[in-house]
Amino acid sequence: MGLLTILKKMKQKEREMRLLMLGLDNAGKTTILKKFNGEDVSTISPTLGFNIKTLEHRGFKLNIWDVGGQKSLRSYWRNYFESTDGLVWVVDSADRLRLEDCRQELSALLLEERLAGATLLVFANKQDLPGALSKEAIREALALDEIKSHHWCIIGCSAVTGENLLTGVDWLLDDIAARIFTAD
Amino acid sequence: MSAVKNQCSKVTSPPFSSDIRSCGENIVDMVDMDEENFAISSSSAADTAFDAVIGCIEDIIMEEEFQQLQQSFMEKHYMEFDDSDENKLSYTAIFNEYVDLLEKHLEQQLMRRIPGFTMNTFIELLMQHKEEVPGDIFDMLLTFTDFMAFKEMFVEYRAEKEGRGLDLSQGLVVTSLIPSLIPTDSKRTTES
Repeated sequence: MGLLTILKKMKQKEREMRLLMLGLDNAGKTTILKKFNGEDVSTISPTLGFNIKTLEHRGFKLNIWDVGGQKSLRSYWRNYFESTDGLVWVVDSADRLRLEDCRQELSALLLEERLAGATLLVFANKQDLPGALSKEAIREALALDEIKSHHWCIIGCSAVTGENLLTGVDWLLDDIAARIFTAD
Repeated sequence: MSAVKNQCSKVTSPPFSSDIRSCGENIVDMVDMDEENFAISSSSAADTAFDAVIGCIEDIIMEEEFQQLQQSFMEKHYMEFDDSDENKLSYTAIFNEYVDLLEKHLEQQLMRRIPGFTMNTFIELLMQHKEEVPGDIFDMLLTFTDFMAFKEMFVEYRAEKEGRGLDLSQGLVVTSLIPSLIPTDSKRTTES
């Protein structure tokens, strides 16, 4: 690791967190990101690359990275693992047909060494849709209770209405802060 | 960023820092800077060595050669960049290449200028002295690893190459922490 990379890591200790938002395509990652950032969410098209937002929240600087979730893009996810404090896994709760695909992708991520230290927040998104599964059903479908390697939490939310987005991010912040900033 | 600045501003500059700035004249041998040594000595030798390296880094990044390195890198890749909010996946590989290029250059130059310089020794020193790195140098080095600053640099470079000024109506204005990084000839006129 070179000088600049080291400096960056030193800097990142200063109440700054890196959150990586992943999930299948059409899960609502970019909508969550924009909604959280107070932007218009009425015209969002599929992400082919990645988005970054830097937000201040509760005295923390959050660098949130949202990478496209289409199948052809998932092999690029690994380029964004480095230095991740929190992994936000976004699920389309109404997409019952792809829950198994969703479970597999998540469990593969949790084996990644560079994500080993990250806290996991699962957003059971699209709770505003009539056909949406509850967060309990998503919890079961993704076998979250089997996860022993990471701190995790599942929150039902709606990116469109903004419901529970803050609750989720607050939980994530608390968990990361307890791990990182009290450890010194 | 402000936290770093605050910390650094509390540290008063050592009285000798102005002498150390020109690294050509103040070559400090780092060969015997192993851990035992600066644990015993009142670490003033280590301090001096550290300040010398920081001064050298400052010199290196201000030099024409460094700026040409950045310039030719931008020339090679700027067509890939556009100013849409979403980033292309290809930016990441280019960014990693950029950081790598600058890191290698810094290390090579430091090794050339400071006898016995090793990056690992310096990084250890850096960990112990991190509160003493002048805030501006720290910030300057950090902008090299800041992806958003990197992207903006390319977007602006491209706009300039294509004869478009920086469009301030977009509401996103990135101020470089390093005025010298922006080509001085044409840049400033677009911002006034």
